[in-house]
Amino acid sequence: MLNYKSSINETKKYSEINMSEFEPVVKINLRGKKRDFITKIGKSLSIIIPTEPNTSSSNENLNILWLSPDEWMLYTNEKVHKLENNYNLEEKLFSEISKVNLGSVTNVSDHWSIINIRGKNTYELLSSGCPFNFNKFKNTKGAVTQTILNHVDVIIHNKDINEINLFVRRSFSKHLWSWMNDSARFL
Amino acid sequence: MNKNLRITNNKFIDQTSRISFKFDGKTLYGFKGDTLASALLANNIHLVGRSFKYHRPRGIMACGSEEPNAIVQVGNDASMTEPNTRATEIELYEGLEASSQNCWPSVNFDIGAINNFFSPLIPAAFYYKTFMWPANFWKLYEYFIRKSAGLGKSPTKPDKDIYDHRYLHCDVLIVGGGISGIIAAKTAAKNNLNTVLIDDKNILGGTTLFQENECFKINNSYSNEWLKKEIETLNSLKNLTIKTRTSVAAYHSYNYILARENLTDHLDLNEKKDKIRQRLWKIRAKKVIIATGAIERPLIFNNNDRPGIILSSSIKKYIDYYGVKCGQKISLFTNNDSAYETAISLSNSGVSVNSVVDIRDKTNSLIVKQAEKLGIKIHWKSTVVNTNGYKRINSIEIMKLSDDSSAVVGKKIKEECDCLGMSGGWTPRVHLFTQSGGKLKFREEDNVFLPDKSNLEQISIGSCNGDFELYEVIKNSASSTNKFLNVKNIDYENLEIISSKEMDKKNIWLLPSDKPLGKTKPFLDFQNDSTANDVKLALREGFKSIEHVKRYTTTGMATDQGKLSNMHALGIISETAGVKMGELGTTTFRPPYTPLTFGTIVGRNVGEFFDIIRKTPIHDWHLENKAEFENVGQWKRAWYYPKENESMYDAVQRESKAARDSAGILDASTLGKIDIQGTDASEFLNRVYTNAWSKLEIGKCRYGLMLNEDGMVYDDGVTARLSENHYIMTTTTGGAANVMTKLEDYLQTEWPELDVYLTSVTDHYATISVCGPNSKKIVSKVIPDLDLSDSNFPHMSFKNAKIDKIKCRVMRISFTGEHSYEINIQSSYGKSVWEKCFEAGKEFNITPYGTEAMHLLRAEKGFIIAGQDTDGTITPVDLQMNWIISKKKYDFIGKRSLYRSDTIREDRKQLVGILTEDPKEVLEEGAQIVADTNKKPIEMLGHITSSYFSPNLKKSIALAVVKNGKKLKGKKMFVPMENKTINITITDTIFLDKENKRLNA
Repeated sequence: MLNYKSSINETKKYSEINMSEFEPVVKINLRGKKRDFITKIGKSLSIIIPTEPNTSSSNENLNILWLSPDEWMLYTNEKVHKLENNYNLEEKLFSEISKVNLGSVTNVSDHWSIINIRGKNTYELLSSGCPFNFNKFKNTKGAVTQTILNHVDVIIHNKDINEINLFVRRSFSKHLWSWMNDSARFL
Repeated sequence: MNKNLRITNNKFIDQTSRISFKFDGKTLYGFKGDTLASALLANNIHLVGRSFKYHRPRGIMACGSEEPNAIVQVGNDASMTEPNTRATEIELYEGLEASSQNCWPSVNFDIGAINNFFSPLIPAAFYYKTFMWPANFWKLYEYFIRKSAGLGKSPTKPDKDIYDHRYLHCDVLIVGGGISGIIAAKTAAKNNLNTVLIDDKNILGGTTLFQENECFKINNSYSNEWLKKEIETLNSLKNLTIKTRTSVAAYHSYNYILARENLTDHLDLNEKKDKIRQRLWKIRAKKVIIATGAIERPLIFNNNDRPGIILSSSIKKYIDYYGVKCGQKISLFTNNDSAYETAISLSNSGVSVNSVVDIRDKTNSLIVKQAEKLGIKIHWKSTVVNTNGYKRINSIEIMKLSDDSSAVVGKKIKEECDCLGMSGGWTPRVHLFTQSGGKLKFREEDNVFLPDKSNLEQISIGSCNGDFELYEVIKNSASSTNKFLNVKNIDYENLEIISSKEMDKKNIWLLPSDKPLGKTKPFLDFQNDSTANDVKLALREGFKSIEHVKRYTTTGMATDQGKLSNMHALGIISETAGVKMGELGTTTFRPPYTPLTFGTIVGRNVGEFFDIIRKTPIHDWHLENKAEFENVGQWKRAWYYPKENESMYDAVQRESKAARDSAGILDASTLGKIDIQGTDASEFLNRVYTNAWSKLEIGKCRYGLMLNEDGMVYDDGVTARLSENHYIMTTTTGGAANVMTKLEDYLQTEWPELDVYLTSVTDHYATISVCGPNSKKIVSKVIPDLDLSDSNFPHMSFKNAKIDKIKCRVMRISFTGEHSYEINIQSSYGKSVWEKCFEAGKEFNITPYGTEAMHLLRAEKGFIIAGQDTDGTITPVDLQMNWIISKKKYDFIGKRSLYRSDTIREDRKQLVGILTEDPKEVLEEGAQIVADTNKKPIEMLGHITSSYFSPNLKKSIALAVVKNGKKLKGKKMFVPMENKTINITITDTIFLDKENKRLNA
C-alpha cells in the first residue's frame, strides 16, 4: 500500500490564532471562455460560477474561486479519504468539459496545500508579510485574493469572519508554514 | 545627579523612579522619561563627543532628530552595539551603556584634537587635493586615511535582536503628533475615515505640550492645557490608530510610506528579551497629511560649536519638559522672537538669564514686552562675535552691529555664561514632502522653503507649511484639513486665541566678526565640521551648483543630512554668488529621514528566512539519506549522496557508474510541468517549439526546443500527448515559471484566437526517474500490471497506470541515455513510491543519484542543459541541432531571427565535444580555448561549458562552444591555464552510445 503524506500535517495555536493544514482536499483548476462552459459547470455542480473578480461561490460541498476572467479553482469542503483518492469529481468534469472542448479541467489537488487560519489575529499575521489591503476583504465573506505572503504566491479565500483558507504551492508550503509559525509567536 | 540642575515642579518626568546608566564607563542617574541627553545635562555633562575632522569638543545641541553633535555609541556587546545614535532620541532605561565617539583615548583627552591646531592647513577638499600625488602612493595613504575615517564602531557579530515588518493600509495618514497633527487626526477620525497618526516621540503633543505662557492662550487656558484635553478626546475615537515612537523614514510615490517603530529600545535590558526591537511599517495611505513641524536654526558666528551652545528652543524643552537646566547662567542669542519664550521659561523656573543678544534694531511684540517686564536684559542690534571655553563655554563676546549689519562696531562686551542659547529662526521640515516628489517654493520674507506643488494626495499643515504663529497654525490646519478631506469639522472655529505675533524679522546668514573671516571658525555643518569659510572657498574655486558645493565641502552629508546646516549653506552661497535663494534651489532630500538600522530594513528575512526554499515531496528521504543539496532556482535539489568519508568527486563517480552498470534513481520532481488543453493545443506547440507536433501520436513523447524571439535557445523539455487535444509539457527546473508566464502572455496578447488553456501542475506531481539496464525489472516489480515490453512501451512513449489505487503516468524518456522510466504520481504519494522503487531495486544495487551525477551522465551522451551549455547567445544551429528546426512550419517563436545575417554566420560559436590529450586531465568550466598560444594578443576562440571525468568512459570529457567549431572536428587546440597549457582535441558532442542502443535496449 502507498502511504499518503501531506506536506505539513500539523496544527498550531498561538495567541488568538489557530493554523492547521486542511488536507487532503480535491482541487480542480477550471479554464474556459465559452458561455456553455459556464452554464455546464453551474448545472453539473449546482453552483454559480462567480464572474465578479476576486469573489467566490459555495454550496454545501464545494467552493469555486474566481482566479481570472477564464480561470477558476474548485475545491471541496470536506476532506477526501486518503488512500482511496477520489477521482469522481475530476472524471465527471473532464468528460463534461475537456472531452467536448468546452474548456480545460485539471486536477491540482496536490499542486496546492491549504492552510486554514482562524482567530482574531488572522489578519495581523497576514499583515506581517502581505502587502494586500485586507480592510474590505476581511468583512466580505467569500472574497478571494491572489497575492504574496512573505514573497510566496498565495490564494486567500475568506471563509468566515476571521477565518481564511490559504492556498500555497506545495513545494513552498513548508517554508511558508515555518515563517507563519515564526511570525505568529510575536502576535 | 546634580540637584541644582533639576527643577521639581515638572509634570513629564517621573522623579520618583530613578534609573542608573553608564556614560563613558561612569555610572550616572536619571529619571524615567529622560532621554540620554536630558539625563547627561542634568548631570552637568555637556561634552559628549568630538567632531569628525578637527576633533573639537562638542556637546548636546538640540533635543530631537536634528541633533548633529551628541551622537553616541550605544552598548558594548559585539553583536548589539550601535554607532551614531542621537543622545537626544535615546530614551533612558535601566542598564543603558553609552559612550562618546570619534575620540581616543577619551572624550576629555583626545589625541586627534591636534587636527584643530592644524585646521588652517586642512581646508575643504584637503584629502582630494593632497593625496593625489604621487599616484602610486595612494595605497599607502589609503591605509592611514581609512583608519581615521568613519564615526563610531560597527558591531562585529551578527545582530541578536529581532526585527519585523508590517503592512498597513489607511484612508488618512498623519505624520507628526503636534498641535496640527492632532487637529487633523481628530477631524479625520471623527468623519469615519480610517486614520493613523504617527509621531517619533514617546508622547503626542509636540512643543505645545509644554507651552505654558501667558502669550499663548486658547479659550482662556494655556495652550498646553487646551491641547491636553484635545489629546484626551483622541482616545475615544474608534477609527484612529496612534503610533508613538514611530518615525517616518521614507515617503515614496503613490503615498507609500516607510516608518520605523521602536518597540523595545526604551525598555530596561531585562524587559527587551525575546521581543521585537524595531518594526518597519509599510504604509499605503489614500491621503497623507504632513505635520512635521519646523527645526530651529542655529546662528553662524565665530566658535559657535562649543559644548554649552544649544538651540534656544531645546533649552526651553529641557527646562519645561524634562525639568533640566542647561546651565546656571544662560545667555541667549537670537534674530527672532523664539528666544524670548525660552527666556521667560527659564526665568519662571528660577534660572538667571544674563541677557538676550538680538540682532534686530528693536521690536515690540507681546512676548518681548513680557520678557522685558521680567527684567531680562536685551542687547539690541548686537551680535556675538566670539565664544570662549574649550570643553564648555564660559563667556561670550558681544558687539554692536553697524547700520548696514555688514560689520561690528563699538566696544566689545564680555559676558560670562555657562550656556548659550541660539535661535536663527525656523526651517519647515519639508523633507518628506520633497522625498515624495513635491516641489518647493521660497518665501523671501522669512527665508523659508515651503511645500508647493505635489502630484500626490497630500498636504502639509502647521509649521512645516510655514505657519509659525499659534492662531495661524490652528486656523489653517483646521481649514486645510477640512478642505483636503472634504469634510466639515467645526470644532476649531470660533476659538478665542491669544498669540504673540512676531513683528520684525531680520536674518544674517553669516554674522560679522571683529576678526577677518579666515581667522574665525563659524561652523555650518557641525557633524562634518565644515565652516562658512569652506563654502566660500568652494565658491572661489569655481563650484557654483549647490550640489557641487555640498559634495566638495561635505556640508549636509553627515548622518543628520544637514538638518541644521543646509539653509545656511544655501544662504551663504546665494549671498556670495549674488543669486536669489529661490533660484538656487535646494539639495535633494533623500530617505531615510533619520538613519535606519539594517535590522529594520531586513526584518525577519534573516537566517532560514533569507530566501524562499522549495522542497520536493521526497525531500525528507534525501535528508534521511544524508544528501548534500544544491540550490536550483529556489529549489533544494539532492546534489549527491556521500557515503561515509566520501568526497563529492568520489560520490558522483560512484553514482554515475551505478546508473549505467545497474540502476539509478533520481528525484526529478522539480521539472516544470504544464497541462495544455484545447482544440488548438497542437498548433500552439507548433508555434512555441521549433519542431513539428501535429503528427505526434497519442501516447507518445517528443523533445522540444523553445527559442526566444531573438532565435536563441530559451528552454527545452519533453512533451507528451495525452489525447487529441491534451498535452503535458515539461520545462527546465529554473525556467518553469518564466516559460509559463511567457506562454500565457503569448496566448493572451499574440494569439488570442487559439483555443488553448494552460495550467501549471509542477507541484501536483512527484517525478521519480529510474534508469539503468535493470530499470525495467525494478519498475515491473513496482507496477506489475504494466506491460513494459519494448514493443508495447518503446522509448519516447508513456502509459497510464495505477499503483495500488492511485493513478500515475509512466514515461519512458531519458536524460541520461540509459533505458529509463519516469513515474509521475500525485505528490502526496511521491515519497512512498520512491521508497517502493528503492526497495524493489535493492537486489540490483539501485543507487540514488543527485543532480551532479545527472549532469555527468547527460554530458556523456552529449545532451545539453539550457542555461549551462547555452547562455542566451546560442541558436539551435549553433548546438548542431539543425534536425530539430522544422523547415515546413509557417512560423514559430524565433524563426525569423534564425535567418538574420548574424545568426547564419558560419563562424559563430558552436557546440563541440572536447577530449584532453591526457585522459586524466579534467578541464575547468569557463576555461578559454585557443588555437595559437604565440599569437599576441591571444585569440580566444571559445570556452568550456561542461566538464567531467567520466567513470564509464574512464576519461575526461567536456562540452564547449568554439568559433566555427562544426568544421574543426579532430583539430588540436589548447586550453591555457595559470600554470600550464592543456592540449585538447575537438570532437563530436556524443561520447557514449552514439547508436542509442542503451536507450532502446
